[in-house]
Amino acid sequence: MPSTILSAVRTPLATALAGVSANVFAYVPESIPAPAVVVVPDSPYLEFDTIGKGTFRCKINMTITCCVAYNSNPASLDNIEQLITSVVAVIPNGYEVQAVDRPTVTTVGASTLLVADIRVSTWYTQTA
Amino acid sequence: MPTTVITGRDLVLTIATVNYDAQTTSVTLTNSPTIDVYQTLDGKAYKHVDDQWELSIDLLADWGAASSLFEAMWTACESAPNTTLAVSLTAVTGAVFAFNVLPVFPSVGGGAPGAQTDSWTLTVVGTPAETF
Repeated sequence: MPSTILSAVRTPLATALAGVSANVFAYVPESIPAPAVVVVPDSPYLEFDTIGKGTFRCKINMTITCCVAYNSNPASLDNIEQLITSVVAVIPNGYEVQAVDRPTVTTVGASTLLVADIRVSTWYTQTA
Repeated sequence: MPTTVITGRDLVLTIATVNYDAQTTSVTLTNSPTIDVYQTLDGKAYKHVDDQWELSIDLLADWGAASSLFEAMWTACESAPNTTLAVSLTAVTGAVFAFNVLPVFPSVGGGAPGAQTDSWTLTVVGTPAETF
């Protein structure tokens, strides 16, 4: 069975992130228990940079969304900065870490979260 | 009959029988001909006297990978810099070019935050053999 993007890219990334002090998801969960780190696709999601079509290979753009509880603005900002720092430190080799978008306040269900996106890219080649 | 557009995805690159499509972002085989021009009493006369072919490749660095092209090229250039490597370049199915190139040392490094990349200009020994 060929490798999948979930098994070859997203799950290893989520596993590498497991050491940070947050709940880590390789997909978007129904509810987000803060603090949380969620790996989601960016746009464009897949880019085809290399020659040939014998094998499926592409550059994958992803967003690592960091979420902390938004109770007090200075404390939440400090918390999300610390979470971003710890996430960037454990991103595996082979990933381009591009930029962190500005934190925004988002309401998910009953909880209010301070959310910032870390944009990362890597290359995927499908193997048998 | 409409033109059939072929793209970089139709290309296949093989060096020393190993396929390196996965790390190659661009590959071009070009010729730089030497044409002498003479000014005669009747006007200009031209003589095509020589050809020098080059293979230009843009790559993603693949240090550490299984069957690494960068490591193979480094080793080849270090151990046998004057021994050619066999290259096969398929422009599209049915148009294949076979030739030999001399190895070069790859560059090492890159700029943050991008991928480590390199561009090689490989000197082709002799003339490519085409199969149309």
